[in-house]
Amino acid sequence: MTRTDAPAKDGFLPAWLSPGAAVIASLGLLACVGLAFAPSTTSEGRVMWTFARPHYLMYESRVEAWNKTQTPKIDLKLISLPAMERRMMSAFLGGVPSADLIEIERRAVSRSFAGPIESVGFYDLTDRLKQEGLLDAINAPSFSPWTSRGRVFGLPHDVHPVMLGYRADLVEAAGIDVSKIETWADFAREFSKLQVDADHNGEPDRFALNMWETHNDHLELLLAQAGGGFFDESNRLTVDSDINAHVLATIVTWIAGPSRIAADAPNFSAAGNRLKADGYVVASFFPDWMGDIWKHEIPSLSGKMKLMPLPAWKKGGPRTSVWGGTMLGIPKTAAATPEQFEELWKFAKELYLSQEFTEILYRQGGIVTPVKKHWSSPLFDEPNAYFSSQPTGRLYINLAPEVPHRNSSPYNTLAMNRVADSLVRLAEEARRDKVYDYASLKERARVLLKKAHAQVADQIERNVFIAEPDAAETVRPLQTGAFAPPRPAKRGGVVERSETGEGSWSPGTQNDQIAAVPSPASPAAKRSSPRQRGEEARGPQSDVKAGGGA
Amino acid sequence: MNPQPGLRFTRFTAWLLTRSLLLLAVLITFIPFMWLVAASFKSNEEFFRSTFLPMREGSWAVDWSRLTFDAYKRLFVEVDFGRGLINSIFLSSVTGVLATLCCAMGGYALARFNFKGRGFCTALVLAAVLIPGPLLLAPGYQLLYNLGLLDSFAGLILPAIAPAFGVFLFRQAVLSGVPTDLLEAARIDGAGEWRTFMVVVLPLVRPMIGTFLMITFLGVWNNFIGPQVVLQSPDKFPLSVAVAELKRGYYSDYGLQMAGTVVSILPVMILFLLMQKDFVSGLAAGAVKG
Repeated sequence: MTRTDAPAKDGFLPAWLSPGAAVIASLGLLACVGLAFAPSTTSEGRVMWTFARPHYLMYESRVEAWNKTQTPKIDLKLISLPAMERRMMSAFLGGVPSADLIEIERRAVSRSFAGPIESVGFYDLTDRLKQEGLLDAINAPSFSPWTSRGRVFGLPHDVHPVMLGYRADLVEAAGIDVSKIETWADFAREFSKLQVDADHNGEPDRFALNMWETHNDHLELLLAQAGGGFFDESNRLTVDSDINAHVLATIVTWIAGPSRIAADAPNFSAAGNRLKADGYVVASFFPDWMGDIWKHEIPSLSGKMKLMPLPAWKKGGPRTSVWGGTMLGIPKTAAATPEQFEELWKFAKELYLSQEFTEILYRQGGIVTPVKKHWSSPLFDEPNAYFSSQPTGRLYINLAPEVPHRNSSPYNTLAMNRVADSLVRLAEEARRDKVYDYASLKERARVLLKKAHAQVADQIERNVFIAEPDAAETVRPLQTGAFAPPRPAKRGGVVERSETGEGSWSPGTQNDQIAAVPSPASPAAKRSSPRQRGEEARGPQSDVKAGGGA
Repeated sequence: MNPQPGLRFTRFTAWLLTRSLLLLAVLITFIPFMWLVAASFKSNEEFFRSTFLPMREGSWAVDWSRLTFDAYKRLFVEVDFGRGLINSIFLSSVTGVLATLCCAMGGYALARFNFKGRGFCTALVLAAVLIPGPLLLAPGYQLLYNLGLLDSFAGLILPAIAPAFGVFLFRQAVLSGVPTDLLEAARIDGAGEWRTFMVVVLPLVRPMIGTFLMITFLGVWNNFIGPQVVLQSPDKFPLSVAVAELKRGYYSDYGLQMAGTVVSILPVMILFLLMQKDFVSGLAAGAVKG
């Protein structure tokens, strides 16, 4: 057959249609018929996104109760975190609506803080929180991941203090008194007694701590506990700080060399859970939410675990850190009028701040509320069977005020990855060269962190909006001031943007007061042109009294 | 004439060695799949107790009583995975058929029609191939919102029915497989443009139709980011998103996830076996001079 000959027909099929293609076309037709008769659901009321099934299950009954007595109706939707992040960022960047309430995790939300402060997709809640006394009522460190350049964009869901969970059956059998452990050096000395080589293969069958150079979450919480991290309170990059070098060098002495005390039992994985169940690692980092996961995934350890405060980096230092965090935010596209904002705000407070929710949060998720007045509840003194009847809620609450502040920079993840790379490199070099002494490791860590610092700084410098830390913006976290966040206005159910792309009222103002123009001293005013400011003042609701945030 | 015994032995050894190596490769390829299938029949607790099939103590016999269909039952009763299956079939087949038709028409036009700006159009198609998909996520989302196509199947199908890659592929197929003389002969015989395309062009690019249909079908079936962003109602999720949604929050139902993965790969595996002849012939088209 030459190439110009048409293929022969396959039975009744046309010459150009192969049997396989016909199968696909038939499948398409069948699916069309199937979908035509399939029931479809319609969304009713305001949409709230959450990303974690445990949260969804906690909220179901609360939302149901709300929908029976209050308006607007809330339609709770569970979607995966990557999906939420992509949709949220696509909507924010495109200036189109997403959900009406978004519950989102710390790292995912930080991307929305990358642009000018007035272009953040969430409402600025700072003034409202201040007016209602919530800044004082809620544990202060819980605001930090949602605070960008001094403004708060979310209601905190949690505190997430971190403790050390350990195999009490093994530790107590070895006669170790954990109450005498104050520092990581004490911990290494005492817990290393549990590292025995029963099968005589030259390597312990059990390690004191679940820690590895690839555990970024563990690295981040250890840096935060030590007072290190990636940015200071003024948003200055601190990747190459002396504290970070100290932490990295110490971690390498834990995971490599003759005084090794740590091993890799990855979290959230079947293999890691099996290693934990088998006692390959004795102690693991335990934020308050982790206990519930272990209960589900490693039920065999019930009654064998106990919690203790994290050993400090130096005597008298902080005995806790923080891991994770969630906020509830209201996108600017969700409320075009003060009334709409008030409705959503009322629901957000009802969901996160009530006593009923505190109980659900703790009983179903083991999570401690950030609302300080609820901490006195006897609920938190109840014994926890999984942790050998310890009152775990009280243990976490005792540490809650000590939780370190965190930075919400969109470059946190980049900085963490670069520091984690430095740690991996440091560990590799140590193993290769067999150099495990702390002083040499710290010296090398300094060099690696300096390089990492330069890489992150290089990226940050490309962002004109947050390249230079502005003292006026950053050294006064959570202070209130006149500020008018830009937002689109909704008319007749259609979201529109003013010519400047900005709306005209602030949720921080009460009695429907309007913060039409940024204060001359505010960052928004400094950046917007006179023309822009004039148009903002003539925005869709410029007939309402103008004024600064309260 | 029979080869010498020594030569026969060498040939047999080579044959045996080749087959052994291929068998080994097949086994290595199958290990993850076997693990996946075995895990889909286990409870969460059993998942951690045995690597493959659970064995009875003291013997090599499989302990069948520790395996369960529970994950599959829950998948179709609790999670409504059947709907995801229908959605995936619908999206993949409709997009595949429409994209094949549109790309064939576009490729034919670029290859055989002389019109002003043809070179520019071809360059534009080539340039479009270079744009990475994730870059179009935010503007695409905005466009779909403005068109009212968010959370609809049309929002996924429409942007995918004329991929630049496909148009260029068919352009090349028409250039190498459809002689201009034949098209002119068809026109002289009175065939209109549509008839020429359906009766002359399409049969000549049939291997490419099978291949491109299969590539598009698989691409849409496995597409994850697009449906995840565009579709927001769970009853519209295809299998790729539905499987990912099985892992939410902090802990996992491994049996359910594995069962979901098995269900999501079985249909395409069967389809690929059905269409492998078309697929291979399309890939090989142009490789050998006719």
